Amino acid sequence: MSPWLIAAYAVGACLVPCAFMCLRGSPEHRLAGLEMTSTIVAILLALMTVGLNRLVFMDLPLTVAVLTLGSGLVFARFLEKHL
Amino acid sequence: MIHAIELTLLTLIAVACWIGCIGMLRMHTPTQALHYLALPAGIASALLPFAVFCATGWSMATAKAVLIALFLSATNSVVAHATARAFRVRRHGHWKPEPNDRIEFLGGSSMQ
Repeated sequence: MSPWLIAAYAVGACLVPCAFMCLRGSPEHRLAGLEMTSTIVAILLALMTVGLNRLVFMDLPLTVAVLTLGSGLVFARFLEKHL
Repeated sequence: MIHAIELTLLTLIAVACWIGCIGMLRMHTPTQALHYLALPAGIASALLPFAVFCATGWSMATAKAVLIALFLSATNSVVAHATARAFRVRRHGHWKPEPNDRIEFLGGSSMQ
């Protein structure tokens, strides 16, 4: 197995504590977990892209990295005003 | 040699992500948990382009990995600040400090 896929599995396992954080506690804790999840997912997709030797899919983690900013700001604003 | 560097970088990426997640989970307040976003967004994403470079050489994938690292590093501070600000506004109803606000310290004590 490629070391990239092993690293992808190791990083993917980080989604378990992230899910644990997102599914319990106050809305503030959940938002912090959600932001950690989006960062982890961007890195995970990059690792999987190289591990599966599909380098053209590197656009996908790049898109997730860009969207992390927008989603974080939108959820923060929503939490601040409406939730 | 290149393979050993690549393995080391991949290990460091996974360790940085794990330390960030466990640290975030262990913190008591959400503002403290936000600090651990810097580990995957800063360290792991900064190591990623070097690992991709070791695996593929200078390619379009390496350039995109550099862009990913730049985006994550630059936007992490913005998102963390906006989120911490939202936490404070949600809790206190305002953002700017006022004379009667309690100022929290890491030791658990507080000062008025």
